Amino acid sequence: MSEQAKAPAKPEVKKIPRPMPRPNTYMDTKPFWEAAKNGKLVIQYCKDTGKPQFFPRPVSMANGKRNLEWREVSGRGTVYSFTNTFSAWPGHEDRVPYMVALVELEEGVRILCNLFNVKAEDVKIGMPVKLYWEKLSEDINYPAFQPA
Amino acid sequence: MNKRKDIAIIGYGETKVTLKGGRSSYDLAGEVFAQVVEQTGIDPKKIDGLSIAETMSETSNPFWGVYMCEMLGLSPSWMQLNGLGGTSGIGGIARAAAAIRDGLCETVFVVASDAQSSGRNPEQGAQRGEFQYPVGLRGPVGAFGLLTQRYRHQYGLDDRALAKLAVTQRNHALMNPNAVDKLQKPLTEADYLNSKYVSEPLRMLDSVMVCDGANGVLVTSTENAKKLGAKKMIHPVGYGEITNFKGAEPLADITVSGFSVAGPRALKRAGMTPKDIRMIMPYDDFLIALIITLEDIGFCPKGKGCEFVMNTDLSYKGTLPLNTSGGQISAGQPGLAGGGLNLVEGVRQMFGEAGARQVSDPRNCMVTGIGVIPYGRNWGVSGVLVMEQS
Repeated sequence: MSEQAKAPAKPEVKKIPRPMPRPNTYMDTKPFWEAAKNGKLVIQYCKDTGKPQFFPRPVSMANGKRNLEWREVSGRGTVYSFTNTFSAWPGHEDRVPYMVALVELEEGVRILCNLFNVKAEDVKIGMPVKLYWEKLSEDINYPAFQPA
Repeated sequence: MNKRKDIAIIGYGETKVTLKGGRSSYDLAGEVFAQVVEQTGIDPKKIDGLSIAETMSETSNPFWGVYMCEMLGLSPSWMQLNGLGGTSGIGGIARAAAAIRDGLCETVFVVASDAQSSGRNPEQGAQRGEFQYPVGLRGPVGAFGLLTQRYRHQYGLDDRALAKLAVTQRNHALMNPNAVDKLQKPLTEADYLNSKYVSEPLRMLDSVMVCDGANGVLVTSTENAKKLGAKKMIHPVGYGEITNFKGAEPLADITVSGFSVAGPRALKRAGMTPKDIRMIMPYDDFLIALIITLEDIGFCPKGKGCEFVMNTDLSYKGTLPLNTSGGQISAGQPGLAGGGLNLVEGVRQMFGEAGARQVSDPRNCMVTGIGVIPYGRNWGVSGVLVMEQS
């Protein structure tokens, strides 16, 4: 039998699963994911200047030193901008349309996130939001936001 | 740096833009190389510098630039790989000029080539796996959706201005035989306004289509250009560039781009103001980028970009011709060679070789480049080049 005869009539479409975060891919982010697992949002602070930063980085952007620590933040903020996504990033096809936002935390950083528990037409820039943990797996809580 | 005309661009080349054309980045670059050799009549042995853009399709090969030398039979004494996204073309010219002035080489082939729609997309890694992909931001489309929404909130956004830009560029593309075939059909304002949202408020017709293609220019000293008997030459007279603009400020206004720094710097070096610019070939991955570019460089006040577009004739016959080969949005984006598409059109116009779409008195031209989508900002690299006739 030829290879072709054995091939199924319709090629199976391989579905890409939603991308899951893997801790420590580019630096030590384990404290972030450990805290998330316990329902706490932590971000990096420069211990010398007191400045916060997000996403996690190998140095303080304020002074270039590695004198950094993780601190829990309030999880309160406002919507800085948002976009209702109709064309999915690979692995998110089942979620369309979904809301992607930049949320500005009270502490002074912005975080790229999804918004939940709100209709697309009700989302407004400046809208107060609070933390919402999306459970991606047994081990992974992912930070998202919902109206406060 | 005062204006100098000691550096010259003496030739250019460009392939047709194709969708999934199937040819490699090497083959496409080779076509541009042959055009440049034919056009200038230069002995290829005299090309002793290569300034080459990074690609999407070949970037898994860290020796891409050296392989290219082998493909083209070049033995450069200076070679530079430019990873500036859409700024690689004009940034490649600026770096070539510096190398020539420093005596490292004499004549540089500045080339960009990519078969992104036929090839592989490399993984960019870094923080994206943990802090972007799980959220599902749709890459550049999602990032520009966020940017457009914020712009609309701060200044208001006149959709008619975006529609005018879309139609102006499409009309230009219809006169460009190198534009991708798929987009060779007329477009109306209504077509733009009815185009579906991909990442609301960003529409399908706000966006580029990723294609394949290559382009390049030949750069040398003006002195050497004369020695070579160059038939035509123009001069890069001002350049400004910034990477990761306000990158250490977590709450920077994302509607203000690096062009607010790179634009004035390029103009100052060229001894010009925006009013002196005869035509502009701005990097267009999304239409909103054109509005922000015009504002930040100083063609109009911040927030008045739409008004400026509505009140200015941007056609090839107009007062400020814009992207006269159709821009990437209507000619197709040849991957990371996209920045070179508008650059080569500027050179072609200034050489007086733009055919049906020729701009009258093409005495100077501004070209811009945008590169890379960062986390929660506008874009990673902004570059501005001003070119002038002799």
